[in-house]
Amino acid sequence: MGAVTDDEVIRKRLLIDGDGAGDDRRINLLLKSFTKWCHSPGSPEEGFTQYQRMLGTLAQCEFSMGKTLMVYDMNLREMENYEKIYSNIEQNITSAHDKIAECKKEIQRAKRIRKNRQEYDALAKIIQQHPDRHETLKQLEALDKELQHLSHIKENVDAKLELRKKQFHVLLTTIQELQQTLENDEKSDNDDQSQESPAQNGE
Amino acid sequence: MGPVELLHMSVFSQSFSPCGRFLAAGNNYGEIALFSLAAALSPDATAANQKPVLTFTAHEGPVFSLLSTDSVLLSAGNGEVSAWNWTELIKKNVKPLWTKRPNYKSSLEIPEINSMAINPRDDSLAIGAGDNNVHILDLEHGAFKATLQGHTDYVHCVCIREREAELLSGSEDGAVRMWDCRTGQSVHCIEVHKYESCARPQHGKWISCLTTDSDWMLCGGGPSLSLWHLRSLSPTSVFPLSGCQRRAAFHQDMILAVGDGAFVSHCLLGGEVKGQIPCTPPSLNTLKLNTKSSEHRVLTVGGGSSKIDVFTNLSYRAFSLSF
Repeated sequence: MGAVTDDEVIRKRLLIDGDGAGDDRRINLLLKSFTKWCHSPGSPEEGFTQYQRMLGTLAQCEFSMGKTLMVYDMNLREMENYEKIYSNIEQNITSAHDKIAECKKEIQRAKRIRKNRQEYDALAKIIQQHPDRHETLKQLEALDKELQHLSHIKENVDAKLELRKKQFHVLLTTIQELQQTLENDEKSDNDDQSQESPAQNGE
Repeated sequence: MGPVELLHMSVFSQSFSPCGRFLAAGNNYGEIALFSLAAALSPDATAANQKPVLTFTAHEGPVFSLLSTDSVLLSAGNGEVSAWNWTELIKKNVKPLWTKRPNYKSSLEIPEINSMAINPRDDSLAIGAGDNNVHILDLEHGAFKATLQGHTDYVHCVCIREREAELLSGSEDGAVRMWDCRTGQSVHCIEVHKYESCARPQHGKWISCLTTDSDWMLCGGGPSLSLWHLRSLSPTSVFPLSGCQRRAAFHQDMILAVGDGAFVSHCLLGGEVKGQIPCTPPSLNTLKLNTKSSEHRVLTVGGGSSKIDVFTNLSYRAFSLSF
């Protein structure tokens, strides 16, 4: 009790003076009227009315106290409510942050996918410009066949050429030999003739 | 930097830091500016955050190409390549780690380095230069390993095809050549302007924009921007963009392209142009996506102006950084 200074008491009383002006005065009045009633020499009816009046005042005091207690309760419960809402909002904020991070990752992935798709499209455009592989293969096959055919023909022609060359060679060598033989014969004839004539002239 | 110089400034190259929090941009005066993305993208950014945190002169000529490795920023200008340490740059210490010059045969004029690409497999840097060759620099040993010869005019752009360890180079002579990284021989040569669907004789035959994701290749420049399937070496889609495209990139399921015209074109792989997002420079030279950082995932474009547009959502320009 000694720790509570006068200042504190005065400050507290000034603080609750707002509403308490009525209550404080009422309690003081009640006390005064109670002491007056205890010491009053008046008639019993007066005393009874005074007693009723005092009960009324007491009831009023109790009523206002009850009201204040209820208001206090209400404030406490409001505080709890607000705390709950606050923590709820905090949770929502963190989950929204997480969702944002997720969405950012998603967007990066989507951008990568889009880039890949565009690269694919660009390449596909180029590839479309080139002719179909089957077509080219067929053309290659046809060309191959033609090539084979032509080389076959070439071989045949070459063989024929060789044969003819050999035949001509045989023919020409025979002719040459014949010519040689004829020349030799002619020469030997001439020799014979010239041998005979000097012999004849000599005689 | 007076107002007249700002008016004539062009941004040619960009590169994000390995941590993804800084952007380095190179301009035609040879300067590199470092912008803090973390500051510019924070909710309480002011106009001062859109200015560079550091500007320094890196080369005597325009910085045509910037490239970042895990710890180093490589810049190419005036025919040489310089390396800067990123942590030192962030601390505003502008001393280059090294500067190298490829072995150019002609000493009459200094060929420009138009483009660089890193091959992660053997830690080598491919340099596309104005002497018609691609020089390969070994980053570990610091020596030039090889020179790929074959183009007949200067090389505009190089890129690496990672899966097959090939290097692609596009040049002014209209040819896209594919080189085998190990043997250094030209494996294929595609003359894009000879294909009727892509050719645009009114613009010329030069190839200024080349990018690949191992199966597909985008190339454009004089001929229309076209998507090629590399295994069959055939053009699959041609994009009906009116100007000459200078840079293109694959992004998720879309293709982003920049070039003539004050917009970034969004195209689908099928060949249609989904949309064109306007931006401040009248024509664009460079496009970069910050894939290394998860919280500063932006697209930045720069071109014929001292402003670099930043897109946080690809559909609209968020704000501009200025030199």
